[in-house]
Amino acid sequence: MSYDLRRADARIKWLVTCLLATLGLSYVFGALMVSLYAGFTPERVAATYAGPEMTMPMPPETTMVVTRPMSMTDFARPETHAVDTNLLIQDTHVHVPMYGVIAAALALVVAGLSLQRAWALGLITVLFAAPWLDFAGMWLTKFASPHFAIATLVGGWAMGAGYTVVTALAVKQMWFPTKGVDR
Amino acid sequence: MKQLILTAALAAVLHITPAVVLVKRPDAVQALLPGADAYLAREVHLSNLDAQRLHQVVDWSPEDGVLTLYTGKAGATAVGALEFVRVDTPHGPIEVAVGFTPQGTVRGVIVTKATVEMKPWVLEAVAAGLTNHYRELKPGEVPRGAAALAGHTGSLAEYIAGEVDKGVARALAAYGTFYRTAKT
Repeated sequence: MSYDLRRADARIKWLVTCLLATLGLSYVFGALMVSLYAGFTPERVAATYAGPEMTMPMPPETTMVVTRPMSMTDFARPETHAVDTNLLIQDTHVHVPMYGVIAAALALVVAGLSLQRAWALGLITVLFAAPWLDFAGMWLTKFASPHFAIATLVGGWAMGAGYTVVTALAVKQMWFPTKGVDR
Repeated sequence: MKQLILTAALAAVLHITPAVVLVKRPDAVQALLPGADAYLAREVHLSNLDAQRLHQVVDWSPEDGVLTLYTGKAGATAVGALEFVRVDTPHGPIEVAVGFTPQGTVRGVIVTKATVEMKPWVLEAVAAGLTNHYRELKPGEVPRGAAALAGHTGSLAEYIAGEVDKGVARALAAYGTFYRTAKT
């Protein structure tokens, strides 16, 4: 195939490197945002997406009062950031197209790498499937079972892993080629 | 409903900036329930009828139909009550803490959360004395913080004062309607 990043012009290699660095930066802040608002454990993800809609009881026939003691530590406890259906629709609408564009950009890099066809196809599949799994997990957590929070976590880690593998391979093949390959 | 759709549409168009904590909840509790050493959370699970009643008064229903009021005591002496009320605006949510004395008047109001975008508006409004205008309000009275700031601050500080007014009005309605009856 004529499209080979190992033999590409230095300008193309630099473009790909800058693209990967920019995506990496956005992924780092994406991970920070996840840690702030949803967390990295199935329990916290389930609490974020399943929310009260999964467990909300019917309103009582007459107003009821429940009291419980509070300590100052309870006041300091971080609140769970809940994503309701409307917000999840908005998130899906905004994120899924963007994840598609990112997956396409990374897949184009994969197409320019020296990889066996099966590995390249597998990697491209992971790049697109990971965000699908991420968002499918959120919707299933909300409407099917909180246990599907694990799908969101697997999807998120798969996105990170896909990016890391593509970046490592691209940087190695573009800038540190093995002997016998022209720079 | 129309307002809700408009708000949602505006929120989608305007990029809501991240939320920032202006005053930590424990600090707000200490300021609004001074001297208290024991606290109770009083969760009022509203019936449909009561939720509608509250909605008619202040055009608002609490999240999940549950109002949470916190009370504080110093030994055996009641110090007062406190509510954290969230107000959704097209620029994102703000959170207002409203403290009440044992006599049922507003002891103080603190804006505890806003968004990055609204933070300077809140700070300007508070610096102009916004929260002083709520002191000693009683349930049934109307908060007029925005009107008091009119002409003394920028338009955005005045705008945010209107949103804080809404939060205080909700707290007054909730406290007046459900706290007093619930505790008897």
